[in-house]
Amino acid sequence: MVLEATMICIDNSEWMRNGDYSPSRFQAQADAVSLICGAKTQSNPENTVGILTMAGKGVRVLATPTSDLGKILSCMHGLEMGGEMNLAAGIQIAQLALKHRQNKNQQQRIIVFAGSPIKHEKKALEMIGKKLKKNSVALDIVDFGEEEDGKPEKLEALLASVNNNDTSHIVHVPPGQNALSDVLISTPVFTGDGEGGSGFAAAAAAAAAGGVSDFDFGVDPNIDPELALALRVSMEEERARQEAAAKRAAEEAGRQEKGEEAQPQSDSQNATSTTTEKVSDPMDEDDALLKQALALSMNIPGSDSSAGDAQMSEATNDDQELAMALQMSMQEGSKDSSAPSDVSKVLGDQSFMSSILSSLPGVDPNDPNVKDLLASLPGQSEPQQKKDEDEQPSKDDK
Amino acid sequence: MSAAESATAIQRNQVDLLDFIDWSGVECLNQSSSHSLSNALKQGYREDEGLNLESDADEQLLIYIPFTQVIKLHSIAVMGSEEDGPKTVKLFANREHMGFSNVSDFPPSDTAVLSPDNLKGKPVVLKYVKFQNVRSLTIFIEDNQSGSEITKVQKIALYGSTVETTDMKGLKKIEDH
Repeated sequence: MVLEATMICIDNSEWMRNGDYSPSRFQAQADAVSLICGAKTQSNPENTVGILTMAGKGVRVLATPTSDLGKILSCMHGLEMGGEMNLAAGIQIAQLALKHRQNKNQQQRIIVFAGSPIKHEKKALEMIGKKLKKNSVALDIVDFGEEEDGKPEKLEALLASVNNNDTSHIVHVPPGQNALSDVLISTPVFTGDGEGGSGFAAAAAAAAAGGVSDFDFGVDPNIDPELALALRVSMEEERARQEAAAKRAAEEAGRQEKGEEAQPQSDSQNATSTTTEKVSDPMDEDDALLKQALALSMNIPGSDSSAGDAQMSEATNDDQELAMALQMSMQEGSKDSSAPSDVSKVLGDQSFMSSILSSLPGVDPNDPNVKDLLASLPGQSEPQQKKDEDEQPSKDDK
Repeated sequence: MSAAESATAIQRNQVDLLDFIDWSGVECLNQSSSHSLSNALKQGYREDEGLNLESDADEQLLIYIPFTQVIKLHSIAVMGSEEDGPKTVKLFANREHMGFSNVSDFPPSDTAVLSPDNLKGKPVVLKYVKFQNVRSLTIFIEDNQSGSEITKVQKIALYGSTVETTDMKGLKKIEDH
């Protein structure tokens, strides 16, 4: 969500007629440019994008930085190929255009599509890069098209002289099956310094991938990430709860007499099955919470208090404060201290936490650090620790 | 002697303007990311001789400091080493968003050429009349003492007073270095 003004430098030289990228280098470039414009304007409505061409008769600014996506896309029409690309002039004029941007609070960025051979020397490019860095302009380079000896080195040298704290990037796209846009979508050029990808880019990726996406719940996470996340979280939780309940019941049955434990076991199973229904029904989060609140208010907590706690824990994933408030009102006066511990129960439920963590990218639940963290989370109440001890050996059994 | 005495008398009414700096708008162009402006401006960091503001691509630095209220700027102290410390310092009052390309577009409000005494901490007295109504200050460090690639600044301190009210409690006696 960085506020940014971007100038895109397009290569419209003769080299772009080549068809090694489908349908032609120029068309692939144009598609990529459209996607970038969309992504930038979507990630922050105040972002501006401008376009200039580097070849032809000379460097020509087609659009100064503007947030009007229509204007940007329309100026891409009717572009003619010809001449040779002038990279140095293109970058310098882009820098000038950015200098005169209307909103001085925007960060400056230049995206260069370098598809033809570069006639400048490495030294000259480094000087340009230094000047960009001095004026805190970031530079993204897309190296595609013509492969020439020394071109990657020159571009890498340019990147090195501009780069300040990894704000600038370079992407080398070899010719092949994949469209230029597809390759770019996963790169920082699109995702913008590791913000995690804009929704637009992700949607475009889904569209480009084409066909039916095999997402778990029939909901495309790219179109509606919050809904998909809510569904996934509740399913995970449900699964974890059932596992935990089954485990607990099995252990208790093993330790004590079977007759006494049949009762709470079936109770907890009933509780979990009712919570399943409640969760899977209306996936609107507010509705789910509302139903739980109603159910709780009708359910006088004389019976299974653990069922009430389990239901409360459903809500905690979405809104911990709401859950606590409901809990407090449910168990008025007594057991105020138990409320936070119920919340920590969810966190302390190791299998649940590890299943959630495993669905997060870059987190390995078997990592000793993660395991320590999980173990340290529920450090408060005694029954909590006992439960951990129960779960630890059961986990080891797995 | 009397001129010197009166000069120090004026100095005593001035406060360190550190408290009036609007930190959210402070910017520095061409600074090295590991040696940033805070090392020279912020309390504690600027006293530390090991922590310097360093330039990055070349020896020039452009520092923009907005204030939370209108102030009068009396003097400025720039400390650095004898070789890499700044030499020519140009000050622009109330110019926003300057870049290296337009520093020469208009004349500075004042220019200071720092001597080794200044680099040890002696403040440079500025043309007070030019800095009566300062909302923001731009400091352009043009070159350094030895002409090296990197300029290192240990401390930048601004002395002056506020325009609206003079907070009597805030008046601190400035010790002679």
